[in-house]
Amino acid sequence: MNVNELKTTAQLAMLDIPDPEKLAQAFSEMLDNFSKMMAVDVEGLEPTTHALAQGNRLREDVPRGTDESEAVLDRAPEREDRFFKIPNVL
Amino acid sequence: MTLLKSWDRVLADVQSRTEYQNYVTAWESKIRSMLTFDLNRDRFGAQDGPLANIPFAVKDNIAVRDFNLTCGSRILENLVSPYTATAVERLQAAGARVVGKTNLDEFGMGSSTDNSALAQTNNPWNVNAVPGGSSGGSAAAVAAGLVPFALGSDTGGSVRQPAAFCGCFGLKPTYGTVSRFGLVAYASSLEVIGVLSRGVDTLETVYDIIAGRDDRDQSSVARPQNSPARGTARVGILRQIAELSPAIDAAYRETIEKVKSLGVEIVEIDIPALEYVVPAYYTIATAEASANLARYTGIRYGHRTSDDSSMEQMVAASRNEGFGDEVKLRILLGTYVLRSGFQDQYYIRAQKIRTAIRNGFDAAFGQVDLMLTPVFPTQAFLRGEGELTPFQQKLADKFTAAANLAGIPALTVPIGVTDGLPTAMQLLAPDFAEHRMFDFARRMGVDMAAMTPDGFDEGWRK
Amino acid sequence: MYQSFIGLEIHIHLLTRTKAFCGCTAEFGAPPNTHVCPVCLGYPGVLPAVNEEAMKMSYMVAKALNCELSPKCYFDRKNYFYPDMTKNYQISQFHDPVGRNGYFDVEVDGEIKRVRIHDVHLEEDAGKMIHSGRTSLLDYNRAGTSLLEIVTEPDLVTGKDAEAFIREFRRMVRHLGVCDGNMEEGSLRCDANVSINLKGQGLGTKTEVKNLNSARFVRKALEYEIKRQGRVLGKGEKVIQETRLWDSDNNVTASMRTKEKAHDYRYFPEPDMPPFCPDDAFMSEVVSRVVELPLVKKQRYLNGLQLSVDAAEFLVEDRLFCDLFEETCALGGDAKQISNWLCGDVQGQLKRAEVALTDSHITAARLNELVKLVDSGVLQRGKAKEVLELVIAEDKDPSAVVREKGFEQVQDDSQLDGWVSEAIDKNPQAVEQILAGNTKTISFLVGQVMRFSKGKADPKKVTDKLSQALGL
Ligand SMILES: [Mg+2]
Ligand SMILES: [Zn+2]
Repeated sequence: MNVNELKTTAQLAMLDIPDPEKLAQAFSEMLDNFSKMMAVDVEGLEPTTHALAQGNRLREDVPRGTDESEAVLDRAPEREDRFFKIPNVL
Repeated sequence: MTLLKSWDRVLADVQSRTEYQNYVTAWESKIRSMLTFDLNRDRFGAQDGPLANIPFAVKDNIAVRDFNLTCGSRILENLVSPYTATAVERLQAAGARVVGKTNLDEFGMGSSTDNSALAQTNNPWNVNAVPGGSSGGSAAAVAAGLVPFALGSDTGGSVRQPAAFCGCFGLKPTYGTVSRFGLVAYASSLEVIGVLSRGVDTLETVYDIIAGRDDRDQSSVARPQNSPARGTARVGILRQIAELSPAIDAAYRETIEKVKSLGVEIVEIDIPALEYVVPAYYTIATAEASANLARYTGIRYGHRTSDDSSMEQMVAASRNEGFGDEVKLRILLGTYVLRSGFQDQYYIRAQKIRTAIRNGFDAAFGQVDLMLTPVFPTQAFLRGEGELTPFQQKLADKFTAAANLAGIPALTVPIGVTDGLPTAMQLLAPDFAEHRMFDFARRMGVDMAAMTPDGFDEGWRK
Repeated sequence: MYQSFIGLEIHIHLLTRTKAFCGCTAEFGAPPNTHVCPVCLGYPGVLPAVNEEAMKMSYMVAKALNCELSPKCYFDRKNYFYPDMTKNYQISQFHDPVGRNGYFDVEVDGEIKRVRIHDVHLEEDAGKMIHSGRTSLLDYNRAGTSLLEIVTEPDLVTGKDAEAFIREFRRMVRHLGVCDGNMEEGSLRCDANVSINLKGQGLGTKTEVKNLNSARFVRKALEYEIKRQGRVLGKGEKVIQETRLWDSDNNVTASMRTKEKAHDYRYFPEPDMPPFCPDDAFMSEVVSRVVELPLVKKQRYLNGLQLSVDAAEFLVEDRLFCDLFEETCALGGDAKQISNWLCGDVQGQLKRAEVALTDSHITAARLNELVKLVDSGVLQRGKAKEVLELVIAEDKDPSAVVREKGFEQVQDDSQLDGWVSEAIDKNPQAVEQILAGNTKTISFLVGQVMRFSKGKADPKKVTDKLSQALGL
């Protein structure tokens, strides 16, 4: 497992890994285990994407009516008036 | 129901509440199973109902309004849930009251509860042993008699393995029969809320209350009108079972003899795809986890770093400070197996193997009514020397994770005590055949009175 | 020479009452973070629950765009981090969208162009950000609202084609009632992919143009971009694949110059929602709600009903006018005449009164009555405007207004004959002039009769009677 791959992956996952070498071993160990799957003949098998799905679940288009906005704004690490506040994105 | 009845007075009068509080406090100093214990916080329990005044504990990755929802993680250490999970609401409507939130491996990732960033939970049978995980806090609390039942969550064995380690029953229901609304997602397509208890009757009562289709969880399923037959005439065992510890190996053989003595036929079953349970399970679980844990950024709730030099830096640093190593490892693995160019070889292949495993169980349940396997290759392991490495712990998930990949129900049944620690076996059943497992567990006649850790005292609740 | 290829990615906000996956109101314009809940804020433990109406509207659009409708569609997670997206994955459709392989006909300069549709998929919108100084502020009212994305094949050639596409598409979604089509407010958004290449060489390197918040800007931006790419290739350089923003103040596109970042959406099936397989009841409702599309309607109005191009264009622009027109015609009136009323007086009065057709109290029955009153001579054409005004302002039937205001024209022959004789008797000079051949003077006598009748005589009838009496 090359450390650069790990860094790219960490970037995609928005993780700032201070010591990628340290993680690399545990990572490779698992990836080697995953590679065992290559031995299986999966010809003709459909992937299971949804276990036991009973389809056609739809929600009626009716507003729920309770106001939870104060409760969630209260939990913001930083807020300004009714906004969630973060460092400038631009 | 009789078991539940004896708890009636616990929350009803001041005297018994004080005794209860003292009992829990004494145990908690030894095992630290709960992140919160509060007799007064749950204001939502109905005054009557089949579980009126029955206290219960909830794994701290299941939302209960006004209680913390830490998931055992620094990143959610200070989050108070603004809402309640459907399963908990159903229990509250039946009169039960949440008294505690239990410790767990961070976001359910682990088999020892030692991956909790917030506390170390000990096994009530031996405080030097782990309680198992990730629902280790729930298992320890139940085993010590702090609550008659607790909710856990089972993604790859997280209810059954700690139940086995602590000597209690642990149910992983059929995928979707219990709403996941309010269960903090680790691996959505695999996990389900489960129940831990020292009694099958309690387990059954609780399961019947929390099961059912939920409009807030569109992946939830209704149990069929005609539930599967409850009787068991044939039990399947896997042809190849290797690498069991001597105590578990003995318990396994003993259980097979016990089953035969009940007049039940034992049938050997072959499911070759089970050899790939661990890689398939960890591929799917980490892939889903990488998306499920992307929401923790310190923007809307949860831990936020003091480093606000840029938005990216703020998010990356908050995640870096908030997540433990095991969580980071799994997020990275999951991100990797989903990357374009790698998906076919990992994620999609794992989903196909999952289909093969499911097909294997379907075929097996054409021949037998239940399957019997060990839960975990070892008893609760001690901390320190001889401890299983994190990698070995993952490899040992093979018996439990199979049920999550297939979606079928499974039950941990305590068997006995060897060297001061419990042993247990697992029953597996076809979809919706939970009651068949309950009945068979009753037939196995486990003597729970002989399975109490030192200091377990039922006197205080009479 | 060069050939250009334009493909569009259109996002429309569906007119559902609630958001796509939670019960929050989807209304716009509320104070920041009013319409938010644990679900749309991506709280730990919550689950999405797909909105039935959003699903219906999605299938309606896919059907109207002649797509193959998915017998089993499901959602996927599209993974990328951005603060306006609460879960840091967007619930979208990738592997099996609502519709694929459709087409849409657009009229450009009187010719029909068929544009292939790649796919139609349902997804959720993100929140809004306001940037100020060192901080950005987040408002998640819009987060999780239903967004339908329509992706065309690169079948459009010119900016004009693209503009026509957008206008026709906008008209279509408004007719279906699935989107208000407002581009300035962002309920219909359009991004364009454009590339040029030497004829016969297929697609070139494309750029993506964003920030196109009107149909006109779509045309102008694409015309600019095609020219710009031509200049780049002409100099022997290569077009850089990038995103460019339309700058409507300076009429140019400019590179966004985002820093290069690893970028991989890692789509995988959303495990929280099972696949959706439309059943017969669902499909028949979808089919019944896909009304006649504007372009087809317009052709029917022109060729079948012989309406003028202006009238047909005017009506087709608004589904409500079409409905009123067709309902009124069904009451037996003359289509041409009704269409003239609608794009003439009705439209004018509504504009003046600043009233929307829905709030105007104008119904097919009332419009039909008004036309009949004028037609039969009971109401003077000139007074009809006033009647219409009162119908709108006071919610009354035209006949009631005419009665109250005493607008009925006198139809009684003997009374009219009396006034005609009186006018002739009292104005011998005028009569003389008329008989001498100055027939225009007859209008003077008509005016006299109108005075006697206090304006209630029917001028046309009076003219006839005068001509008859004078032997003209
Ligand atoms: Mg999109
Ligand atoms: Zn919401």
